[in-house]
Amino acid sequence: MRIFDPHIHMTSRTTDDYEAMHAAGVRAVVEPAFWLGQPRTSVGSFVDYFDSLVGWERFRAAQYGIAHHCTIALNPKEANDPRCVEVLDVLPRYLVKDGVVAVGEVGYDSMTPEEDDVFARQLELALLHELPVLVHTPHRDKKAGTQRTLDVVRESGVPVGMVVVDHLNETTIKAVADSGCWMGFSIYPDTKMDEDRMVALLKEYGTDRVLVNSAADWGRSDPLKTHKTGLAMLAAGFDESDVDKVLWRNPVEFYGQSGRLLLDVEEVGAVHAGTGNSVLRGER
Amino acid sequence: MTFHLGYGTNGFANHRLDDALAVIADLGYTAVALTLDLHHLDPFADDVAAQTKRVAARLSELGLRSVVETGARFLLDPYRKHHPTLVSESQEVRVDFLVRSLKIAADLGSDCVSFWSGIGTSWDRLKAGVSAVLDSEPPVPLGLEPEPGMLVERLEDALRLRSELGEPEALRITLDVGHCVAVEPVDAAACIRRAGDLLVNVQLDDMLPGVHEHLEFGEGHLDLPATLSALTDIGYTGVAAVELPRHSHAAPDVARRSFTALRTASWVAAAEREVRADPASLERLFAGAGRVDRAREDDLRVRLLEAYPGDLAGTLTTLYRHGSSAERRAVLRALGPVGARVPEVGVELVKDALRTNETGLVAAALGPFARDHLDQHSWRHGVLKCLFMGVPLDVVAGLAARTDEELLRMVAAFADEREAAGRAVPDDALALLRKAV
Repeated sequence: MRIFDPHIHMTSRTTDDYEAMHAAGVRAVVEPAFWLGQPRTSVGSFVDYFDSLVGWERFRAAQYGIAHHCTIALNPKEANDPRCVEVLDVLPRYLVKDGVVAVGEVGYDSMTPEEDDVFARQLELALLHELPVLVHTPHRDKKAGTQRTLDVVRESGVPVGMVVVDHLNETTIKAVADSGCWMGFSIYPDTKMDEDRMVALLKEYGTDRVLVNSAADWGRSDPLKTHKTGLAMLAAGFDESDVDKVLWRNPVEFYGQSGRLLLDVEEVGAVHAGTGNSVLRGER
Repeated sequence: MTFHLGYGTNGFANHRLDDALAVIADLGYTAVALTLDLHHLDPFADDVAAQTKRVAARLSELGLRSVVETGARFLLDPYRKHHPTLVSESQEVRVDFLVRSLKIAADLGSDCVSFWSGIGTSWDRLKAGVSAVLDSEPPVPLGLEPEPGMLVERLEDALRLRSELGEPEALRITLDVGHCVAVEPVDAAACIRRAGDLLVNVQLDDMLPGVHEHLEFGEGHLDLPATLSALTDIGYTGVAAVELPRHSHAAPDVARRSFTALRTASWVAAAEREVRADPASLERLFAGAGRVDRAREDDLRVRLLEAYPGDLAGTLTTLYRHGSSAERRAVLRALGPVGARVPEVGVELVKDALRTNETGLVAAALGPFARDHLDQHSWRHGVLKCLFMGVPLDVVAGLAARTDEELLRMVAAFADEREAAGRAVPDDALALLRKAV
């Protein structure tokens, strides 16, 4: 099973996770920029975070044979803090970089006017840089938030095929399916979705335009949920090609629209940690 | 790009002509240099007219512009390669072949018939032969190609012959840019500018100075972006086709690699122009270079920095501070060619890179710039860090020259520590210590 986790916050994960993910078949990930639990208080804090997403974290993932990409944005929660909003001015510098495959996570947290404004401005940036958009849907009042998200996307002029609306569930999938946007599902130990409910939705709605992710971060989460969903699909009668479509071909198709995927990770690969007399791959 | 990138069918000698044309077009080329040969539109075949008509239709269907090449090896003489030539006693055989080629070129709608002089000394005979072809019908332009080892070996020889013949309109120049590297006193770009409007056909390949061996791009000394830039500068609109006649055994792969190299070089040529004209474009081009050609991204970025006409110190700092790992690595590599202009900034960036734990950055930091500018203490720690991180020491420029007693003491202590822990000591460390003994 080859797996592309289209939404996982590796900055919060250990090297044990990287090893386990690789063993389970994960060969590529997208790490969306998001909040970190502890609120940020300045633009500088964002800059260091973004730099790590295009630098250190990509290097760390490559050591475990995993191609690391990221999405860059001001997240909706911190869009409400005026000390953070100025980060919008530095986003363009990141949105031209290799391996930056979307603008995200954008969307709503509490559906404030500030969030409206920041969401709209970042959709404009996505249009300008011809990048896909990863939209987070709120934990609270999710159904209304999803509906409002779809309205804003429609008004923005960003093609629906360039947008994934994430963290969906049984109550929000239909509106997104009907909209033409891609549908993202986060499989969690307790909250959001679980593997079996995911399989039920795949049976009902099919495998087109569906992205399944672990969204693993600093909270209780499991970076192998993509793999477990693949196993659940097989147990429920889906074949290997269906699993490959959901867990590999779909994310490649969606994020491939950026023209920025770096899937040849073997080429930039790892350090020989042992003797040190081996070749340093990726060096010329 | 004002001209048409093509591939020579003499590099597809083990393919049927129809298949070769299809592969060439499929890879993205928009032109072909068609070498008339035994199994590729044989000009001596009974049905050559019908064959030509069919090939013309095929070229048109595939959207391929063409030139006709006449360098087949055993078409005229089964024993002697390329024989007879325009400087041979039986010159008329060659003249007859060239006239047949003119007819085929006219029927194909090709830009020209390309030819070379031959190995020999008889300048007058050569002139007579060329005149005979020029006086023949139909009036298709002729491209005289300077060829290493032949009577017309360099561009100046070809221009002299043309001048002595009274500068006939139909006699033009074919230039093989690899030959320029091998035998011309100036580079290919300068030859292209010298040939100027007379250029009717271009052959693309790499070569080493003094060695007439057609190589894939990157294997010799040709500056491909500068060469393509020169073609744009003179307003060349004809065919520029890859000439790799000894690579037929792997033709599709070689043709694909060549196309990638050409596409990359075209990007570099255009990007260098843009950076020179509008220095502010650097940041965007620099960031996007990896998407153009991942295998060559460092080289691309270094070239952009070499072309950059603005404030180098500030720009290197900004690109490094705001860069992804790959962008930072390229800034560090660029310090080799440009760092001496801004040594203080260069040292700052090298020290920053040596503080990171990214192997690629540490390795790139210890290149020729560090050899020449980094203080001894920092340099030693850089070398030691390589050993710690498993970075092979061949990335360190000037290792032998700068190694001193203190470094050897540090490496020996490192080896002791590893041994005490029961861990392997890197071979590079042992080699360094051995040399010192």
